[in-house]
Formats: sequence, structure tokens, C-alpha cells
Amino acid sequence: MSRTSAIYFDGISSTPQKIELILDEQQAELVFVTAGINSHKWDIEEISFEHIGDTLEIRHIMNTSSVVKVKDVDFISGFLSLLNKNGHVGWYYRLLHLGMKAYIGMALIILGLIVGGYLVVIPWVAEKAVLIIPLSYDMSIGNTFYNEYVYQNDIDSDKTEALNLFADKLNLNNTGELHFTVVNSSTVNAFALPNGDIIVYTGLIDLMKDYDELAGLIGHEVSHVNNRHSMKMLCRNLAGYIFISAVLSDVNGIMAIIGDNVHNLQSLSFSRQFEQQADKEGTEMMIQNHINPKGMTDLFKRLQTDEKVIIPAFISSHPITTDRIETINKLIQQKTYRNIYKPELEKLFRRVKN
Amino acid sequence: MENEISDLKDYKLSFHGEGKTFFGIIIVNWLLTVITLGFYYPWAKAKQLQYMYGSAALNDDRFAFHGTGKEMFKGYIKALVIFGLIYGILLLAIYFDYLYAGLIFFYFAFIAILPIAIHGSYRYRFSRTSWRGIRFGYRGERNELFVNFFKWIFFTVITLGFYSSWMEMNLRKYLLSNVRGGDVEFKYVGKGSDYFIMNLVGGLLSMITLGIYSFWYYKNLFAYYVDNLSLQKNGKEIQMKSTATGGDFFKLIILNLLIIVFTLGLGYAWVATRTMNFVFSKIQMEGDIDLDTINQTEADYTDATGEDMSDFLNIDLVM
Repeated sequence: MSRTSAIYFDGISSTPQKIELILDEQQAELVFVTAGINSHKWDIEEISFEHIGDTLEIRHIMNTSSVVKVKDVDFISGFLSLLNKNGHVGWYYRLLHLGMKAYIGMALIILGLIVGGYLVVIPWVAEKAVLIIPLSYDMSIGNTFYNEYVYQNDIDSDKTEALNLFADKLNLNNTGELHFTVVNSSTVNAFALPNGDIIVYTGLIDLMKDYDELAGLIGHEVSHVNNRHSMKMLCRNLAGYIFISAVLSDVNGIMAIIGDNVHNLQSLSFSRQFEQQADKEGTEMMIQNHINPKGMTDLFKRLQTDEKVIIPAFISSHPITTDRIETINKLIQQKTYRNIYKPELEKLFRRVKN
Repeated sequence: MENEISDLKDYKLSFHGEGKTFFGIIIVNWLLTVITLGFYYPWAKAKQLQYMYGSAALNDDRFAFHGTGKEMFKGYIKALVIFGLIYGILLLAIYFDYLYAGLIFFYFAFIAILPIAIHGSYRYRFSRTSWRGIRFGYRGERNELFVNFFKWIFFTVITLGFYSSWMEMNLRKYLLSNVRGGDVEFKYVGKGSDYFIMNLVGGLLSMITLGIYSFWYYKNLFAYYVDNLSLQKNGKEIQMKSTATGGDFFKLIILNLLIIVFTLGLGYAWVATRTMNFVFSKIQMEGDIDLDTINQTEADYTDATGEDMSDFLNIDLVM
């Protein structure tokens, strides 16, 4: 039997009533007497409690608006250990009182689960999702983009024609139709749309010194189209976004922002993976067409020296051009290749450049 | 006059939540939510609310939140069905080439849900909150709010947004003035015109001073919220008063930002408890209502659908 003074609110008015609260360990019940000499016996099986800060609040499950408040530390610990003995302290309560080390451990476990899920599950889902999405969707996205953004630009029809003829002379291993557009602009850039439209700016062409560099660029961009890289990126970003928001929705907006940043980091390395694939396939295409594969690395080097500040979008969202040059060089060393000078390509290249 | 002075009572609002404890709750909830693929969410939310409400105290007696995960889960499922229906109808409309009709329905449905969600959320939240065993309650009428809400939205649209300050004050006045704790009634008396000028001046000065004035702007907004709020019971009253200064807001916000940035967001628990602590310590109460004689008047209300709809819509209701 342990006793303490406590406050009782009867759920009818807010008047505090001083009571003597008795914990009967034998009967496993709380006993107290209120004004009007009402005796209350609360079986510990029939109570709920909240232990917040230094206060223990006990309620009867049949009448949740009456409440007993206790502040006596010894009484509270006696009460809790009795509940514990009878198996009435919930797993949640126990989980909550594990302490800081356990919380940090849990945080790490969750982060591990999330990162693992993110690195393994998302790419897998995205790859599978792309297979389900019909090619016609790639087409319509690409066409929409072309009509909205490319069409209004200053398109050089003569250079466009020459570039298309240039590409026709190459075996590009393409599955769908390709169409090239040359835009008059000082911007150093080139990009591929999922529908097979490839857009090259004169700013980039002006930097080139040899037709094998142009072939390298074409090989690189065509690889993006052939592998549906845009659609894969879209699927990954979408899947990643859904995953992040599903996992973090509970915690708070700030966690979501951090999650988004992590997500961006991931898509960065993801696009690098795609860029490397495009570099590799582009170089192989050059070898297959008996074009000097050094054109690819020449192109990168030129961009490196000429464009210190602006990194063209087609070498993507990362500046590790040196790494890529090395990777391509290694690939070239492994292959045996034979270059054949092609005057018709040279002629068309001059026409694209003039 | 003498009588009035001797009748003045002492009130003290305080907040006892600790970042460390709240951090534990968040982490445990997070773990359980991830393990259950999100199904634990309603329970997690209930636990968080229980802690936050339970940490707030008036005259050293704590508030209590009695909402349960089970109630919120039921509400969550209902809300899910309602949103599923709205999206489903939109998709059907698109499928059958009635895009515009579908979109009009979609936007109307969302605007219509807002007052219903707010109403439901208020009813649920307050009826599940108590102090000294006395339940709070919200007695607004859903249909009345619904009609008013559409009227205010209409005015806001035709005045190109100028009416929004009035709308906000009307809404706040309607909602808060229908809140009660037992037989103590809340009353809010803010005015759209004052609020409009405060926003106009605050916004402009914040822009001109590159954001420095914004802390004083926050101070004014907070004061306008608090100073216009009072409690009423049988001709007696408790008036709320803000004691926060612009400097206080500056300290609070800058430190919160630093905590979030340097803990990569994990310090959220500390930010939340610090902020609540700030709010509760900066509200003074003055008046003559005897807090020992409040009577129970409100019944239980356990439908959490509005609460969960608000969650989906991402509306965070203050109080």
C-alpha cells in the first residue's frame, strides 16, 4: 500500500478536489474517496494513463473526463512498476523510454532502410516502368517540347539540311526515326528529345575543328534517344519523389526538403551514368563508321578550354569532364580501329559550319 | 472599482515540452510509420498531438488530447475515399473528353471540401481536448460556414484578392467565437480593415528593408491574433495580451533556422518545442473568470474525417 496526496477533477466542473490516493498492490487497484463520501475503486486493468513531464494523469476508461493527477515521484514509480509487473505498460511506452542512444540508433536504421530502398528499389521500378510506357508517349512529349520551345528559335534551314545529310551517312544503330535541327545561337549546347529530335546550336558547332567531333556529338545524343534516357530519368524522378514523400510525409516539411536534396544528388549521379553510357556508345559508333574516335575527346577538350564558366548542358549537370575524357581514352585503347577519311562528310561538315 | 481589482485572478500559461522527449516520439513514430508502410501515420499523429497538448499548461494544470489513432485512422480512410472519388470523377471526365466540365467539378469540389474539412477538424480537435477534465468544443454550424465561405471566396475573387484580409478575419472570428471550454466562451474581435492595413504596411516595409522588418511584421500579426482574443463567462472575462517584441521574434526565428540547418532537419523537435514555449510564454492573461468553477458542457465527438481531410489538403490550423 502506498499513499500520496493527489488532485481529482470529477469531469463535471473544474474545481480541484484534494484527495488521498491509495495504491493497493495486492488488489491491483487505486482507491480514493471524494467529497460526498463517494468511494472510488479503479482496477488497474480499467485505467489509462499519461506520464508527461513530472505529472502522472490517470483516467478511468469508462469516464475519460474525470482525472486524477499525481506528482509524487515515489508513488509514480511504484505505480509504473506495478503496471509493469502486470504487463500493463504498453510496448509503445517502453519504446519511448529507451533513451537518446536508442533514438539515434533508430534514426540510423530508418535512414539505412530509406537509402537502401532508394538506391535499389527506385532504379529497378523506373527501369520496369519505362518498359510499360508506350513509345508513343516519348513521341508526344518530344513533339510537344519541340513545338513549344524549339520551333520559335532561329532555325538555320540550310545547316539543318546539311546536318541531316551528314547523319544519314552514318550508321547510328537507331531504332526510330531521327531528325536534326540546327539553331542559330551563340549558346554552346546540344540536346536530344525523346522523340528522336536532336537540336544543335551553332555556338557549339563553331567550336568544332573537324568532322569527327561532330560525329562524336551525334553518336552521343543518338545514344540518349536509343536508350530512352529522358523517359528513364522522368520515371526515376517521379518514383523518387513519390518514395521520398511517402516516407517523410509524417515527419515534417523540412525533412522533405532534405529528402529532396538527397534525391537531387542521386539523380545527378544517375544522369552521369547515362552520360557515360552515351559517351561509350557514341565512341563505338564512331569506330564502327571508321571515324577517328579521338574526335569525341577532342570535342570535350575544346569545351573544357573554351568554356571555363558555362558548362554546356549536353555534358550534363556535372563538370567532371576530365574523368570522362580518360574513360573514353581507355575505351579507345582497348579497341582496334581503322580510320578512313570521308570527303563527303568533310564537305557536309564545312556546310554545317560555314 | 475596488471590487474589480480584488476580483482579478492570476493566470499563467506555460509549456513544458522538451526537445529531447519530443525527438524520441518523432523517431519512434517515424520508425513505426516506415515499418508499417505508412499505415501507422494516424497513430503517430495522435501521439504527437497528445504530447504537444499535454505539454501545455494553464495554471500548472496540463491540457490533454484524447484523440486516438483508431479514430483518426477511420477518418483517414473516409478522407481517402472522398479524395479518391474526386480524382476518379476528374479522370473519368478526361477519359470521356469532358475535360473542362471535369476541371470545373474538380475545383469546385476542392473549394467545397475546404469549409467542411475546417469545420470537421475544429469539431474533432476541440472536443478531444480537455483541461481539468473539462472538454473544449466547437459549436459552429457546418452549413452556415459553408455558405459564408463561398460568399467570402466570391468576394475575394471579384476584388482580385483584396478581400482576402477580410475573409481571413471573418473566418477567424467565426471559428474562434464558436469555440468554448466548458461554459467559458471564446471571442475574437479582429477587423478586416485593420488587418488589411497591417498586411499592406508590413509587406511593403519588409520589402523595402530587405526582410529585416519582417520580424516586426510577425510581431504585429501575432499581437493582432492574441490581443483580439478573449474568454467570456457570465459577464466575466479574461483578455489575452501578447508581450512578444520584434526582437523576440528575431531571436526565435534566427535560432530556429540555425538549429534546422546545422542538424540537417533532425533538430525539428527542438524547434517545435522552443516555438511552443515562446508562444505560451508570450501570452498574458488578465481578467476575473474563476477557473475553479468551469462547468462541463460539451459532449464527446469522435469523427476525425475533417481532421484527416485537412491533413490531405495540408491546412494547418492554429489552435
